[in-house]
Amino acid sequence: MTRYILRRIITVIPTLIGVTFVVFMFQRLIPGDPAVAMLGEHATQENVERIREQFGLNRPVFLDREALAAGDLAGFFDTQYFRYMARLLRLDMGSSIHRRIPVAETLKIRFPATMELAIFSMLIAILIGIPAGIASAARRNSALDATTMVGSLMGVSMPIFWLGIMEIMIFAVYLNWLPAGGRLDPSTQLELRSNFVIIDSLLTGNIPALIDALQHLILPGIALATIPMAIIARMTRSSMLDVLQEDYVRTAHAKGVSERVVLFRHALKNAFLPVITVIGLQMGALLSGAVLTETIFSWPGIGKWVYDAILGRDYPIVQGGTLLIAMIYVVANLLVDISYSFLDPRIHYD
Amino acid sequence: MAQITVQDLEVVDFAVREHRSLWKDAWRRLISSHTAQLGLLIVAVFVLTSTFAHFFWEYNPKTDLDYTQRLKAPNLIPTEEQPEIHPFGTDKLGRDIFTRVVHGGWNSMRVGLVAVAISLVIGVPLGLLAGFYEGMGITSLEQILLMGLIGLFLGLLPAWIAMQPIQAFLFAALGVAAALLPNLRLSKRARLGLFATLGLLAGGIPGLMVAPLVGLICGVLGLFIGAMLGTNLGGKALSDIIMRAMDILLSFPGYLLAIAIVAFLGPGLEKGMIAIGIVGIPVYARLTRSAVLSVAQKEYILASQAVGESHGRIMSRHVFPNILSPIIVQGTMGLASAILYGAALGFLGLGAIPPEPEWGAMLGDSYKYLSSGAWWAVVFPGLAIMLCVLGFNLLGDGLRDALDPKLRV
Repeated sequence: MTRYILRRIITVIPTLIGVTFVVFMFQRLIPGDPAVAMLGEHATQENVERIREQFGLNRPVFLDREALAAGDLAGFFDTQYFRYMARLLRLDMGSSIHRRIPVAETLKIRFPATMELAIFSMLIAILIGIPAGIASAARRNSALDATTMVGSLMGVSMPIFWLGIMEIMIFAVYLNWLPAGGRLDPSTQLELRSNFVIIDSLLTGNIPALIDALQHLILPGIALATIPMAIIARMTRSSMLDVLQEDYVRTAHAKGVSERVVLFRHALKNAFLPVITVIGLQMGALLSGAVLTETIFSWPGIGKWVYDAILGRDYPIVQGGTLLIAMIYVVANLLVDISYSFLDPRIHYD
Repeated sequence: MAQITVQDLEVVDFAVREHRSLWKDAWRRLISSHTAQLGLLIVAVFVLTSTFAHFFWEYNPKTDLDYTQRLKAPNLIPTEEQPEIHPFGTDKLGRDIFTRVVHGGWNSMRVGLVAVAISLVIGVPLGLLAGFYEGMGITSLEQILLMGLIGLFLGLLPAWIAMQPIQAFLFAALGVAAALLPNLRLSKRARLGLFATLGLLAGGIPGLMVAPLVGLICGVLGLFIGAMLGTNLGGKALSDIIMRAMDILLSFPGYLLAIAIVAFLGPGLEKGMIAIGIVGIPVYARLTRSAVLSVAQKEYILASQAVGESHGRIMSRHVFPNILSPIIVQGTMGLASAILYGAALGFLGLGAIPPEPEWGAMLGDSYKYLSSGAWWAVVFPGLAIMLCVLGFNLLGDGLRDALDPKLRV
């Protein structure tokens, strides 16, 4: 088992290196000189040269073969790519070009915002999707089943940005029940520690802030939860239906085990594996969907931040943000794979 | 012996039916399912209206502008103060939203079709190659070609560093040699050592002629390349290379990757199609590979191998037709998600360039006017997206049941 986990972790390393490479290449490939982007169109040639020197943009991209031929081994690796990798290993992602704030600093504030929204959405998706899936498998072809299936098809067909706009229109503009955007009301006082607003308000016992934070989470949370909820419900249903046809379920029924025990103790346990996979994969999809949800609800997370940075050619932010999201993606997949070996004793690796 | 007629057979109590081809059979199952019927109906309505609108209903988005008709609510009957009919209302420039929704369908369909075509054309062959060579091994000729190419490709690095093109050919030759001499009557370890040494020489000696340090670096690189070639990479290696590249592409969240590619290519509907197409490649590659692996061990494949059919023929005649159904299903669902992606890009201002009618862009244009109460400007384009996507999803679901009755639950 340990060997399998280790091997699995090792196979992730090339993928991670590939990801950093793609992010690096991407920055190089976007049209436009970063030095010019930093200084603006009217910068003097001299200033541009100075910035290029300062950020190492005048160095070769990958390897400096001239330096090597001249006998300079350190110079051979003193290139944009290796400088970038060295900085990454020190967790230094540079500073925003436009605001001059270190990317790592901003990530510390923005990342918790995205995670909070993603976790909240996933909780909604799981708490509604799994029971709905179980119920519709147990009462197959009933009205409940049909409703769940139609609902989940609508869910995956819904453009989440449109759902978000509709929510704002109904619940914020017309009914005025919930706030239309943001993370906290500007008038709410809250001392931030972990930057997870919910956790911070609980830690400091700040109930008004907690309520305010939850109110702000509901609309974007639902918008973001729709797709994973639909997918989890469908997966739970079909996985349960598979398992319910197994011999041991029939045996359990024959023994006179109650319907509930059969459903939850015998079937659910065995139907859970594909559901776990889907949950893991959807966690990544949530981070992807966050780009749209955060834009609509002015949620101060990484999605919106990276999107703005791409448009504004703020390369360090694009690099740092994309890299972080991609890493979470890869790690989430890894965790799903590893959790398999714990959850299903039938699976033997190596 | 008496002639047996069809009528005679009907009285027999076992089922006899006329011969139907696989596809005809699937079509019958498809049109007998209610979800598929609904999906087909929705898709047909969208495809027909947008096609007819595009060819027969003239509309010029550049001149469509009427400030006297700004943000008018939907009306179906002409009245005193509103003589013009706008079934879906008008937007901030006084344009009839119904007209734009109908014409926008053409753009959304195009995005979906072209993007899925791009993903299919690149993803399916990659998956086919990966699955085929992983599941069925590799012929010696292909092995030579593969090893030669890997040698050439890896050799480019020392060749570039030392500025000697010859190095790339040396490593290509080393790869070919490794493929030609699969065992050499040596133990695995000895063989690995031999090729590593050869690699060291192939990289180091030409490098030394440039400078000592270049010789050192190229030698070390050559050592690794040689060792890699010495392990006798097979079909699994090819599959690994392809699938790792797909993993990397999959590591980026879809929307972010699409936005980034558009940022690189520049905005526009065509660029959006390319971006969405690239995002979809790994999905099809993975699906195709796993489908190929599942048929690779089937008896009919083994049989065709046994009678000595070529790999190309097995792939095109036996493997491909048998993996077509999951690809068709995924392609239909892919159309749905490509349309969603296209709308999202349009919404963010990265897809269709205004004033071109496109559902996502229409939403993006209008949602800032929500507080002025113009709900119709966001409700109708959004409904169009949802219905259209729903249609393709329903059709995809129906196709899955029709094409693969075993999967039916």
